[in-house]
Amino acid sequence: MNELLPMMARHGYALVFGILLAESLGFPFPASIALVVAGAAVAAHTLLGVPVLLTAIFALLLGDAIQYWLGRYTGWALLAFLCRLSMNPETCILRSAESFYKRGKMTLVIAKFVPGINTMAAPLSGSMKMRFNQFLSLDFVGSLLYVITYLSIGYLSRDVLAATLKNFHTVSQVLQVLVVVALVIYATYRVMQFRKYRQYDVVPRVQAQELEARLASDDSTRVQIVDVRSHGYYDIGAERIFGSIRIEPNNLDEEIKTLPKDKDIYLYCT
Amino acid sequence: MAHLLREKGFNTFVIVGGLTAWRKVGGNLESVPKNDLVKLPSFS
Repeated sequence: MNELLPMMARHGYALVFGILLAESLGFPFPASIALVVAGAAVAAHTLLGVPVLLTAIFALLLGDAIQYWLGRYTGWALLAFLCRLSMNPETCILRSAESFYKRGKMTLVIAKFVPGINTMAAPLSGSMKMRFNQFLSLDFVGSLLYVITYLSIGYLSRDVLAATLKNFHTVSQVLQVLVVVALVIYATYRVMQFRKYRQYDVVPRVQAQELEARLASDDSTRVQIVDVRSHGYYDIGAERIFGSIRIEPNNLDEEIKTLPKDKDIYLYCT
Repeated sequence: MAHLLREKGFNTFVIVGGLTAWRKVGGNLESVPKNDLVKLPSFS
């Protein structure tokens, strides 16, 4: 701990800034843990409270503002990319948007405490044309609450943390451990996700060329192409495969009543 | 979704690469009908 504190004094602000910025940009970094450690450092008079607070809030606002403008200018493209990492990419965008809209703008205030929403809130705000000043105000309140909460936890539990950290010699070691833990958690999550959905691999896949060739053959009457993109992927001027029909992924039970059972169904999304 | 349809008795396939792959091979396209363009919620 004696070696840790001078290192925290030298690099603490940069670490807090870097980790919080990365987390707000959507990377799996343990921002809350960084804040707890920073809070303990403040309690130990290694870091100053106000600069840590300002650094953390600035990092979060900067990352969120970047996400906001990316969402604003790329429309649903960024959300589609983020949703590819989710459990159900086909409905992720629509559900996120509707959930965000129903809960109202105040969702931004609590978003950082809710896994999943924290990544989507800023780009959703941009995509859904929230005014930037309003976004910034609400995001500032949310960031302030988030930072104060975790700094306070670290500040109040300084003794416990000091006992935990006494075996670490440098801040870089602490950072390495945090990064490794985050990566292990993320990798475990992805493996579990892969195993859970591995059963879906039983569905045959066809190349676009194969389908095109079949459509050009006499057998084309037994083909039904189905567009399963959620509405979120649609913009004015959007295109789809010629002759395809659309079914809404969120309303599958009703939609399949119209599907022909005597045809081969070819599904596609983006 | 393809898996669910298969469970319900549909002979289902998935197009590898989706619309992007279809575009790349020069497959025929058409505009999405206006009725399918459902507006998403907006704060503006």
